[in-house]
Amino acid sequence: MIGVSHYLAVGAVLFCLGLVGFLTRRNLIVMFLSAEVMLQGVALNFVAFSRHHGNLHGQVFTLFVIAVAACEAGIALALFLMLYRRKRSLDVSRWQALREPGLAESRDPDPLPPTTPEAPLPHLPRAGAEPARSEERPYA
Amino acid sequence: MTLLAETDPLNWTVLLPVLAGGLAVWYLLPSPKRRPTAYGAAAGLVALAGLGAFLVRGLGDRVPQSVEAGLFFGFSGLAVAFAGLMITARNPARSALAFAVVVLSVCGLFLLLAAPFLTAATIVIYAGAIIVTFLFVIMLSQQEGPSNANLRSREPELATAAAFVLLATLLVGLQRVYDWRSVDDAIDRADALAKADRVPAEYLPPRVKADPDHMNVESPALTPAAGAFVRDQRAALARARVGARRSADDPRLTDHPAVQTVANAIVYLELSGFKDPDGDGVRDSCRAVADGLWELKALRDGTAHFADVPLSDHGQVRPVGGGPSKLPAANVSAIGRTLFTDHLLAVELAGTLLLVATVGAIAIAGRRRGAGHP
Repeated sequence: MIGVSHYLAVGAVLFCLGLVGFLTRRNLIVMFLSAEVMLQGVALNFVAFSRHHGNLHGQVFTLFVIAVAACEAGIALALFLMLYRRKRSLDVSRWQALREPGLAESRDPDPLPPTTPEAPLPHLPRAGAEPARSEERPYA
Repeated sequence: MTLLAETDPLNWTVLLPVLAGGLAVWYLLPSPKRRPTAYGAAAGLVALAGLGAFLVRGLGDRVPQSVEAGLFFGFSGLAVAFAGLMITARNPARSALAFAVVVLSVCGLFLLLAAPFLTAATIVIYAGAIIVTFLFVIMLSQQEGPSNANLRSREPELATAAAFVLLATLLVGLQRVYDWRSVDDAIDRADALAKADRVPAEYLPPRVKADPDHMNVESPALTPAAGAFVRDQRAALARARVGARRSADDPRLTDHPAVQTVANAIVYLELSGFKDPDGDGVRDSCRAVADGLWELKALRDGTAHFADVPLSDHGQVRPVGGGPSKLPAANVSAIGRTLFTDHLLAVELAGTLLLVATVGAIAIAGRRRGAGHP
């Protein structure tokens, strides 16, 4: 049987990957998804301990975690939409005026690499000619 | 103290997945410098293999070759790999889809852990509601061309180092708590000695070997094998030691009775110097050591219960004769009973929280231009 320790190890790995994403990514949506991955790691711990101890309190706690995550998602996405309307960007560094006093402003020295523009969508050729309409049966 | 520490002083089972994983994540994170993806992918594969090796070897338990083990490794590999893809993808829509795969894999692990209701609820809420909402927001806020938000990352070196140091700490902690190999090895050796007809020759002091009838040697020196045996048993006892209450009224914890039994048996073995070649004393002491260590280990890892620790009965089936506890088969009804008996206030609070969050989300996002706000 796979022991509780194996599930705890997988939960720890998920938590730390989510932590890296939350700390490094600058897109608000990806930051939020990383926080959700951290929650998944914690939920895995709860369910593994629930199985280990043979009672259901861990599973019930995970249900509450899901409920709070749903609230969090609703509020956070509403906030993201509002922030996007103000600055026309999801970059969290656009809001660095909110940083603590005395901290230096973070700048991006390297220019972004040029990206190749996406190919335009293909225009489909017209298939066949339009049939002549007859006066007597216009919708046939 | 553990056998692992002797054979693997650098603890490569932890170091390899942490180093390779940190390297892969740092390498693949978005950066203005173009880096070829292949090296990062190779480091990521090495990290995944190292994590698998840690799960198989590093935690002490022997992983059986069963369907459950195969499913566990499949689901956890998918979850970890797609979590890595999620934090490194440039396109937030791809991140959202990778997150969906992470959620589905974790739901597979939930099923393996006997939580079918939670599996269904997580799939419906996360994959069904939250991710679709995310995709809507991504669609509403789509930008043309390269953006700082997706092509740059903030302090990738520091953040990766911090998170993977935390991961190494967690894995080493798990290893120290759950690696019972030193105790298992000590139990096996004591058990083998208790079952043997005669005490093996390498345990016997040289004078006893030369002259079996000459039994009254003053405190004989232990042979190297016997000394190592006693030392390992002491270390195993220190590892498996637990406390217990002496009586129900006395709140103070003292050593569990088995600790004293094992300690006495070890002291007897050490003082006697194994000097009864066919005596029952060594055999009885080794039997006492093996049984006592086994009992302490079962208490420590939770497969046996303390007699005087009260547990809630809701949704729980206690085994009659010890052994691991079992979850009830009727998962949904048992969860309902637990929710509405033990956690009723929490259910009400969660409902209130959902209502407040809904009102708040509408109040925040529902503002339109020209309705009094700029």
